[in-house]
Amino acid sequence: MATVKLTNVKKVYGKNVVAVNEFNLEIADKEFVVFVGPSGCGKSTTLRMIAGLEEITEGTIEIDGRVVNDLQPKDRDIAMVFQNYALYPHLTVFENMAFSLRLRKMKQDDVYAKVTEAADILGITELLMRKPRELSGGQRQRVAIGRAMVRDSKVFLMDEPLSNLDAKLRNQMRAEIILLRQKINTTFIYVTHDQTEAMTLGDRIVIMKDGIIQQVGTPAEVFDMPYNLFVAEFVGAPKMNTFETELVCENGKYYVTPYGAKIQVEGKKADKLAQRNVQTQRIILGVRPEHIALTDANDPRGIPSKVEVNEMMGGELHLHVITDDGDRVIIRVQTINLTEDVRASLTYGSTVYFTFEGKAMHFFGVDSKHNLIS
Amino acid sequence: MMRSNAHHMGMRTKTKISNTIIYIVLVIMMLIWLIPFVCILLESFRIESTGKVGYVIPKVWGFDNYISLWTKTDFPTWYLNTLIIGLVVAVVQMAFVLCTSYTLSRMRFKGRKGLMNFILVLGMFPGFITMIVLYKVLSGVGLTNENAIFGLMLVFTASSGMGYYVSKGFFDTIPKSLDEAARVDGATRLQVLTKVTLPMSKPIVIYTILTAFMAPWGDFMFARYISHLTSKGMTVAVGLQSWLNTELMTNAYYTRFCAGGVMVAIPITLLFMFLQKYYVEGVTGGAVKG
Repeated sequence: MATVKLTNVKKVYGKNVVAVNEFNLEIADKEFVVFVGPSGCGKSTTLRMIAGLEEITEGTIEIDGRVVNDLQPKDRDIAMVFQNYALYPHLTVFENMAFSLRLRKMKQDDVYAKVTEAADILGITELLMRKPRELSGGQRQRVAIGRAMVRDSKVFLMDEPLSNLDAKLRNQMRAEIILLRQKINTTFIYVTHDQTEAMTLGDRIVIMKDGIIQQVGTPAEVFDMPYNLFVAEFVGAPKMNTFETELVCENGKYYVTPYGAKIQVEGKKADKLAQRNVQTQRIILGVRPEHIALTDANDPRGIPSKVEVNEMMGGELHLHVITDDGDRVIIRVQTINLTEDVRASLTYGSTVYFTFEGKAMHFFGVDSKHNLIS
Repeated sequence: MMRSNAHHMGMRTKTKISNTIIYIVLVIMMLIWLIPFVCILLESFRIESTGKVGYVIPKVWGFDNYISLWTKTDFPTWYLNTLIIGLVVAVVQMAFVLCTSYTLSRMRFKGRKGLMNFILVLGMFPGFITMIVLYKVLSGVGLTNENAIFGLMLVFTASSGMGYYVSKGFFDTIPKSLDEAARVDGATRLQVLTKVTLPMSKPIVIYTILTAFMAPWGDFMFARYISHLTSKGMTVAVGLQSWLNTELMTNAYYTRFCAGGVMVAIPITLLFMFLQKYYVEGVTGGAVKG
């Protein structure tokens, strides 16, 4: 239950390896913020600086308005869940969860009450007398969360807590973390490299690359209006398709012209282009796989391509096609909209025509890679 | 099928033969090793003659040699001296070694690598080349002969931190995130060591204590240098050896000398019997756990 404020935070390893640079962020009380990015982007380093496990090279970190730069982790009133659980192997589950409370010299009865309450919420009551090595991965992660929960700390830090779990368990635990969040209602900072976790868990997402924040926003904001090409490609799965092409401004209307087709930009995107008075220029066009539609040879907006891979996901198809110019494009098609005949025809080497939804296109500068209208 | 069976049998016989040979060699080696110990043990119980005789198995058995060893000689003083030195060194050395190992395993500070290299190089010099200097220093401050106990404690504990390799190797295998979890949970560095690292390191703690106790217990060279004048400051090794210097003691009280040798072996044998499994884990633990 506290705010966290990072001002111009910088981390340099050794002499000149800059892990995090110019990190500025204000996290509101009870907010759930997710740091996401590829490995080596500095997200874990930032979390560890907040925890006090890494020194801060420059800048300040405040928790609840107090600068904590030089405070030991134990004095920051934070709780943390580690990727590899970090349970004390020589202690039982109960002792693991009671560890921090006993260090604080809490009364035995209170310790018991706290631990059993947390165990109850997490459904691990029957495991309390076991040692960590007798637990499965999912159970260990629950214990690790429980150990952090009993603390009632100001900030709850989680460093890739689901990365060591298998896919099915990960989905289940993700849902449980959302539920848990309702129950313990404190400030969360969550680090992951998985954009699905970031999108589903976060109130706000901080997308990082090479130690620098690329964008901060709600899941909807970063999905609909990515600041730059990196964010656009990082958020969403399968990743956004990009085409280098021309944006044409004609009589106040905008068109993109990939592969000789001419597709009009519609809706808010067109309004914004007009507002900013964007001129005809070469751009990188980004279109998400779900915003590409199949069409037929008669459609003037249709772009011909050949099917390379057809991934049947159940409710949808992921079609990997290759255009006449040799560019690879991924198309996500809802299977419910396809007739049996069409589905059967989408085999290796068959020709399909695709086109873009006019209102769901993204425009990036060829050199700057920045979104032209964000 | 037949062929492969026959082949299999052949292999099995071969293994059997080679195992038999290995065991025979080992048994012979063990016997050669054990002969002196068995001789001493048997002679210590001989009471029909206390001098040197031409046979091994006593004709009359009894504890007379032990009784006279503990009541009529300085042996109890030497034994107590050695025990005190061993225990103090074991405790102090354990503290030094574990702190050094934990620090070098967990903390990152300027000169850490250099310090480790320095210790490595220093360790390559045999300890006895410092003997004369050490003797001069210790006699200068009056820690030889009657005060030799303190001198010896000092000598054995002074550089003990340098023996950090095995336990550092063990600590290195304990994930760092456990330390971090404990620190976030509210532990100081010392509490991390005592409440998390050490409870997980029982084998290495026992290994450290054992080796620390054994070094002064079995040492002769340093002890002899530092205390050779008065019986008051002698350890068992020096005391027993002093008996061998006189004709009388060697010839007339040979069995009592043997009883002394057996007494020296007892504590170490007991320690090993009870702590053997930890000892093996300690020596190999750091190497394979990673």
